Amino acid sequence: MTVDRPGRRSIGGISADQPVFAAVAIASAAFAIFFLAPFAGLVYRAAQNRDVWHLLSADVARQALVLSLWTSTLSTVIAITFGTGVAYLLARSSFPGKALVDAIIDLPIVLPPTVAGVALLVAFGRKGLIGQPVDHWFGFTFGFSTLAVIMAQLLVASPFYVRAAKGGFESIDPQMTRVAYTLGASRTRTFLRVVLPQTWPALLAGIVLCWSRAMGELGATLIFAGNLQGRTQTMPLAIIQAFEGTSLGLDGAIALSLILLAVALTVLVLFRVLTRRAITTG
Amino acid sequence: MTLEFSARKRLGAFVYEAAFSAGDELVVLFGHSGAGKSVTLAMIAGLLHPDGGRIAVDGKVLFDSAVGVDLQPQVRNTGYVVQDLALFPHMNVADNIAFGMPAGINRRERVRELLEMFRLEGFEGRRPRTLSGGQQQRVALARALAREARILLLDEPFSALDESLRADLRRELLRLKERLGLTIVFVTHDLREAHLLADKLAVFDNGRLLQYGGREEIFRQPAARRVAELTGVTNILRATVERVDDDYATVDATGLQLRCGLPPGSSFAEADHADLAVRAERVILRRSVPAEPGLSNFVEAEIVSEDAYGASHTLQFATLGATRLLIDVEIAARPYEVLGIGQLKRWTLELPPEDIHMMPATDAGPTAP
Repeated sequence: MTVDRPGRRSIGGISADQPVFAAVAIASAAFAIFFLAPFAGLVYRAAQNRDVWHLLSADVARQALVLSLWTSTLSTVIAITFGTGVAYLLARSSFPGKALVDAIIDLPIVLPPTVAGVALLVAFGRKGLIGQPVDHWFGFTFGFSTLAVIMAQLLVASPFYVRAAKGGFESIDPQMTRVAYTLGASRTRTFLRVVLPQTWPALLAGIVLCWSRAMGELGATLIFAGNLQGRTQTMPLAIIQAFEGTSLGLDGAIALSLILLAVALTVLVLFRVLTRRAITTG
Repeated sequence: MTLEFSARKRLGAFVYEAAFSAGDELVVLFGHSGAGKSVTLAMIAGLLHPDGGRIAVDGKVLFDSAVGVDLQPQVRNTGYVVQDLALFPHMNVADNIAFGMPAGINRRERVRELLEMFRLEGFEGRRPRTLSGGQQQRVALARALAREARILLLDEPFSALDESLRADLRRELLRLKERLGLTIVFVTHDLREAHLLADKLAVFDNGRLLQYGGREEIFRQPAARRVAELTGVTNILRATVERVDDDYATVDATGLQLRCGLPPGSSFAEADHADLAVRAERVILRRSVPAEPGLSNFVEAEIVSEDAYGASHTLQFATLGATRLLIDVEIAARPYEVLGIGQLKRWTLELPPEDIHMMPATDAGPTAP
């Protein structure tokens, strides 16, 4: 079968396109190599050096992983608990100063985490705005504790959840909730039966972003919570310490990085599977 | 069912005020977008709170600012259907319909009834987005009626559909009204739709209810120039009353002497200013002024422009007198051809006295387009 191409005669136009296409292809390939090389390097080093596998089971690594996992999960749960309502209000209502609240919630996304750490210290540190009176009246300090780790993660990571949830809520036609009200559904029932079932893929995306960001939190934690093994030393902090050679050394850093890489991959795959299911059933 | 409605509300610069009542009939709220039609529905449904007024359905007070009653939308029992339908995309048809059903009734049986009533049998397990536009429309109506709604509020429900489908659904709606004996409040900006469906017509403009009444009354006897304009009257002439005798008045419309029927209950006197509304399809074309004496309201004119709409033609005439008045004439395609209007450009226009509607003049300025 022959195909008649209407553009046959403009061969000049097509050939002029080809170098551009080639350049884009080469650039894309280079970019892909740049992305894959670091991870390949990690795996390659680990495969070569048996010590790495040994270090995976070291106390420091185990403690850091356990701490990272439960603090990130807890700060994500707190973000969901408080952030969902905030996101819904921001998406659905208008009030004076809404733009300001919106901007403040975005701030930690844009701000370097070290700045967040300093800010936390100034507010909740022993000499801080809130920290000092609390220390004075209750003899309680926030800084350099596991609580401080969670606070740092919450400040830096929760905006990712609020943002994603807000986007999800905004995508629901407001007429849908209005109609639900006229059909006798209370606000709560409307939220649970109409809004939530349609937004949960967006909420899930927010949860993954928030949790991943909390897992990776370094700057704010280092400044506000310190680097105390077993108490405030999360995985990223343990990697820093290993890399500086004061604990497990470079091989240790590689081992810890591999763990985080595995965790990240698992979460990503799980997320893909779950959202695909949500889209096909939703 | 009956509906009593009166409400006022200020929304920034927009001031809303309207009052009307209806029985078991279809009330069409007509006007341009932003005129206050949807606001009215939202107030009946309880989604928008008036500053003052009273709303009652079947004697049950839903809102009354005087005694501080303001029922939640959840307990008002209105069937509210919006333009984009707002079907729940994550639920199948049966679950959509059953969503508003009160506990304690036989849901399965009631859903079956509604599926049958709206010819949706076999679709109960489908998601709304897999249905055609007309089917989605019927699901929305079924869902709105599932609670034994006392009043049906329809906010331009057919505007997203193509014309043939709209005609079907309009017939379906009229059938539904007969069958259920409901008060239906229907919002539209489509004049033909308004005319087809309305028992009563409420004409809104800029937040105000300009006129409310039976369909024929509104179309034949608009209360004011603006109502006439909104309901499709293209010929509105300024005039001064010269003489009033019995049921007729003689007026001067910028040099054109016309005899007009006086609308019942009107109180025109000599030298009063009036706006005359003449529907384009009411003007009669004649080849010449008839010889019989005592006839009036003939004017010679020539065609200055014409638009062909397929089924009909709209001709714009200019009178041949000293002041050239512009008068639109609408004529069906067949008489247009039979009379040979394509060739002949000069005609005598007859404006029958009964088809000239006199309205008290408003200060809207001259009508010339």
